[in-house]
Amino acid sequence: MKFYYFHLMPYVMDHDEPSSWVTLSNRHYDPAVGHTLYHQYLDQLEFAEALGWDGICVNEHHQNCYGTMPSPNVMAAMLVRRTSRAKIAILGNGLPLRENPLRIAEEIAMLDVVSGGRIVSGFVRGIGAEYYSTAVNPTHSRERFYEAADLILRAWTEPGPFAFDGKFYRYPFVNPWPRPLQQPHPPVWCPSQGSSETVEWAARRRFPYLMVFTPLERIAQIYGEYREACERHGYTASPYQLTVNLPICVAENDRKAEAIARAHALWVYHVGLRMLPPYWQPPGYTTEASLKRLLATRGKMPTELTYEDLEEGGYIICGSPATVRDKLRVFSDELKAGIVCSGMNGGSHEATLEMMQMFSEEVMPHFREDAGVDETVGVGRS
Amino acid sequence: MPEPTRIVVRDTPVDLLRDGSGPPLLFLHGAGGGGRWLTFQQRLAERFDVLAPSHPGHAGSPTAEWIEHISDLAFHYLDLLDTLGLERVHLAGASFGGWIAAEMATMASSRLESLVLIDPVGIKVEGWIYPFLFGMELPQIVATVFHNPMAALALAPPDMSIDTLALLYRQNTALARVGWNPYLYNPLLRRRLARIATPTLLVWGAHDRLAPLVCAEAWRKEIAGATLRVFDESGHVPHLEEPDAVAAAVTEFCRTRKGTR
Repeated sequence: MKFYYFHLMPYVMDHDEPSSWVTLSNRHYDPAVGHTLYHQYLDQLEFAEALGWDGICVNEHHQNCYGTMPSPNVMAAMLVRRTSRAKIAILGNGLPLRENPLRIAEEIAMLDVVSGGRIVSGFVRGIGAEYYSTAVNPTHSRERFYEAADLILRAWTEPGPFAFDGKFYRYPFVNPWPRPLQQPHPPVWCPSQGSSETVEWAARRRFPYLMVFTPLERIAQIYGEYREACERHGYTASPYQLTVNLPICVAENDRKAEAIARAHALWVYHVGLRMLPPYWQPPGYTTEASLKRLLATRGKMPTELTYEDLEEGGYIICGSPATVRDKLRVFSDELKAGIVCSGMNGGSHEATLEMMQMFSEEVMPHFREDAGVDETVGVGRS
Repeated sequence: MPEPTRIVVRDTPVDLLRDGSGPPLLFLHGAGGGGRWLTFQQRLAERFDVLAPSHPGHAGSPTAEWIEHISDLAFHYLDLLDTLGLERVHLAGASFGGWIAAEMATMASSRLESLVLIDPVGIKVEGWIYPFLFGMELPQIVATVFHNPMAALALAPPDMSIDTLALLYRQNTALARVGWNPYLYNPLLRRRLARIATPTLLVWGAHDRLAPLVCAEAWRKEIAGATLRVFDESGHVPHLEEPDAVAAAVTEFCRTRKGTR
């Protein structure tokens, strides 16, 4: 199994506002604190490479305290020159949020060339709140996503110049310099929460599917749908197409791990993901069929999840190294997920580094049967 | 309430409510008003043949994927007049429906006997930005749209079933498709309002918090000769908040100002 260290780069704070997204005033953001946090977070990502993680991950969110990386490519650029081995996974760029998505093709190609071909390029639509923060029409979200993805993939693979004339994006000349180093292009991942349309789209192109902050039961269901779709398209999914993103909390014993998780890991759900209901589902962001499925199976909102819900539902993995190994076996052996992306929060920068070290020494080595395999070969390219 | 009838306008299915007798009056509803036959329409039906279609994606009218812009809706309703063989009509629209009606009037005011705009959105007014309803929860929406919140009960959904919630989402989606950005206006419309050569009544709620009276003044400035009637007990939807008084004002205006100005 491959391990990627994932970061949200949150601005951890408490507040009484109804939403941590869109409307939470940025007067709460203290740039001096932000300066320290950014450096700690980047140090953690660099430390992950030193400890043997296979990849490090950044991502894009706007106007919130949950994740302070409005430009993931800027963060990736900082990491490219400070690391030398680990993959750098950008999970991902919000394609429909860009008025000029050719810029994504250019930026990823730059990063890929400088990094010596270590970039994994996630394509996402952005969550609902992003459409309030960028003013992009959410009823165009899916169409813009497909069209921008098509543009970027063609820009990476077809010799330029060529003309592109889409519904949303039109260019008389597509001819980006540089071209990416990885051929035919950097692997593309699809981080998502399980809409059937995205499952089908990703499976058809062999793009790995990444389930983000989802309960175990639903991960199993969506993996099943993804595998079926791959079979329908004439191939069997590689384990490295089935990826999961979930927080891990490890400590000397279960009791201590639980105390840390209760104190720090819950923040993401109870504060970080607190938002007004309209922000989850802006009009037209979801198809009517997906909306009905969502309403019929609706569980708790993130803010309603208790520690027990998270722990028992498999939203997070928490415990002693032995417990964490057992729980990870569910992902490696039962779900047959090939890559686990996980962030950690020890409560302070130093405690987080210690937790990362413990995980790398006492958990990771037990899952290294595939040590010689490059997880990006043969996947992520249509 | 009349039973909805299904008509097809150039391949686009439309649910139409129609009742009353007299000269034809096309009423274009606002957000959440589709498929309803309210006091306002009942009163108008005493003097007019009232036609109240549901916009595509609203109430019983299915979503029309081809609609990308507010002008598509305006052409859709001009096509509806052709489909029904109506050469000239009185045209009334409320809020979002008023926006569509104004677009139609800039295209084909020769088809209109009179034009009634009830707290329309659709133009940019200096010094005013429409509050972003798409980001609000229901209580805040009601507080923004209604001066008399009891009037909101007329638009209350029958239940909170999955089908009802999906319908509300579909209606919001249809609105957002043409009104998310620019939010509730067409940058090209304001200059074109000068083309309207139809007697025009502007009906406005004194306490409109979505499009306040400063917007009414902008509309009156752009449509030469337009009459403005302000209703003191209303917010954004006077036809729901003071239906009898507004219907009486509309009836009186349409019966006396018929024809080109």
